Amino acid sequence: MGKSWLRDYVIKRLIYSVIIAWGILTVTFVLVRVGPNSPADRYLANIAAGGHDVTQVVAAIEARYGVDKPIWEQYADYMGNLFRGNWGWSFSTSMPVVELIKKHWIYSFQLILLSSLFAALLGILIGIYSAVKQYTKADYTFTLLSFIGISIPNFWLGVMLILIFSVQLGLFKTYYDTTLPLFSLENLKALVLPVLTLGTGMLAGYVRYTRSAMLDNLRKAFVTTARAKGLPERTVIGKHVFRNALLPLVTIMLFDLGSIVFGGAYLTEIIFGIPGLGQISFKAIFANDYPVVIAVTLIGTFIVLLVNLLADITYTYLDPRIRYD
Amino acid sequence: MTKRLGDIVRKISRPLYSNSRLVNYYWQRTKRNKLAIFGLAFIIFLVLLAVVGPFFTLDPTLVNFEEKNLPPVGFAIEQSIYNIETDEFTTTKVSGNWKHPLGTDSKGRDMLAMLISGARVSLLVGLIATGIAIILGTIIGVLSAYLGGWADNTLMRFTDVMMTFPFFLLLVLIVFIFGPSLAIIVLAIGLTGWTGAARLIRSEGLSLRTREFVTAAKAMGASDNRVVFRHLIPNVISLIIVMATLAIPGVILAEAALSFIGLGDPTVPSWGIILESGQHSLNTAWWVAVEPGIMIFLTVLAFNFLGDGLRDAFDPKSNI
Repeated sequence: MGKSWLRDYVIKRLIYSVIIAWGILTVTFVLVRVGPNSPADRYLANIAAGGHDVTQVVAAIEARYGVDKPIWEQYADYMGNLFRGNWGWSFSTSMPVVELIKKHWIYSFQLILLSSLFAALLGILIGIYSAVKQYTKADYTFTLLSFIGISIPNFWLGVMLILIFSVQLGLFKTYYDTTLPLFSLENLKALVLPVLTLGTGMLAGYVRYTRSAMLDNLRKAFVTTARAKGLPERTVIGKHVFRNALLPLVTIMLFDLGSIVFGGAYLTEIIFGIPGLGQISFKAIFANDYPVVIAVTLIGTFIVLLVNLLADITYTYLDPRIRYD
Repeated sequence: MTKRLGDIVRKISRPLYSNSRLVNYYWQRTKRNKLAIFGLAFIIFLVLLAVVGPFFTLDPTLVNFEEKNLPPVGFAIEQSIYNIETDEFTTTKVSGNWKHPLGTDSKGRDMLAMLISGARVSLLVGLIATGIAIILGTIIGVLSAYLGGWADNTLMRFTDVMMTFPFFLLLVLIVFIFGPSLAIIVLAIGLTGWTGAARLIRSEGLSLRTREFVTAAKAMGASDNRVVFRHLIPNVISLIIVMATLAIPGVILAEAALSFIGLGDPTVPSWGIILESGQHSLNTAWWVAVEPGIMIFLTVLAFNFLGDGLRDAFDPKSNI
């Protein structure tokens, strides 16, 4: 079996991703156009609030946003601009949206990375333990705790952590200090509460996924064979069961990225004042800064698309049994 | 219209009422799960509270600055009160009383009354948005599975597009564009939350479509309409019930999160709106943020317990 099927598959998968990307941009375009407040209206509201003459600016803005052109031309412009890296102008911060994002993405990245590491490492360990000790008191306790973890609203947990550890005990600052250098111990300390806020829900989910994926494999015949061969239980669990559980586990963890992690990070950044993408989108909402809100949603979506693509290709490479069509 | 809708509901839920032994069997299985029963009991309690509660509580909108920031019964806080005549702040100890068992907020509104009317909002949002999402998901899933070919392809690619959007970021964008009213929020959640349901029902529908009883029905000349409403949907009704139960907590959380970042409907006091206002008065009145959070948490937990129990009962193989 040569590698040509893999190349074909990668090409097919790439084309498919481009189609999905086109769909995403189209849906966003339709949403913005159908919406009652066009970007120009929003901009005008700001001009008027600033005490300027509105009528003078109308024509200029319509030309600037291309609202005076026919709809298909606007659509073509929108697509073209996005592909050329021209994501619009953020008037509330007076810089191109792309520059704004370049300045702030690292804060979101560090929060999501640390939370994911914390949640995945601890979650997988507890999940394996829970599965191996199925139906024991420890298993029931962890199951109950993970139910609590996925049910706690993460923004409320953040507020409670601030209330207890910052307001009452004074252990941490109530607000993230943006002057700290990124790679320093102080920065790590400042991220303890945010990581707990974002990581708890993820952790609880991972415990459940790991436990379930482990249990699925623990009942398989090859596990009995491995035990019958006289392999030590450590090897059976670590090599035979866990490795087989890993692939579905990673799939479902990646699925969480779009459905849980990005939303959680958005809220966590707002609670703790971390100047990441969630925070700039939040501020842009109140400044009616249209391009920023759209850009943050699109970036999140494209990351999910890219991660899915990479994951699919990696799986197919690792496990030749998998064929998508 | 209503009659037709009733017909459809009666048709697709036929296995639930025409086969009481089956329903009883599933009920017995669900009953074994103590947490699921706890969840169900809490949900029933909450629904009763939301329906009849507002008739017995104080007016949740009644502002009374003389009784602002009262702690819940059993708690006491130090409060600085400004005295106009002496132009001085005096610190007094304020403790909760039974007139406001859960305290009052910074405007002197009764927390208990606000939480109960908030329960109405949150439950309604949860039920309606989930209803929209599940109905849409079922229609798209069944159509996709039953029609196949290019229709299936188009519908599933569209599902892929909608699935790629991070759920909360898309909600933020939609509510930002269309404005924060409760109707928009409910519609936004309903119209974006159907993708998982559509996929699951499609895959279930694909395997059902090739079963003998469907072939038999078609061979006897059953119309598409009859096959879909009499054979396909009734067979996925258990899946639909489980999905709906597990989707409601997500919807309640999403509404609360939107409110929390200021994209809630400011005219309707949902739990998220109360929590958001409490976040700004953590130093003076911590309970305003704590209490709605506990309500959201318990409600979400109850639905998760029940949904998990139902899934175990309907499908013992899955163990997520």
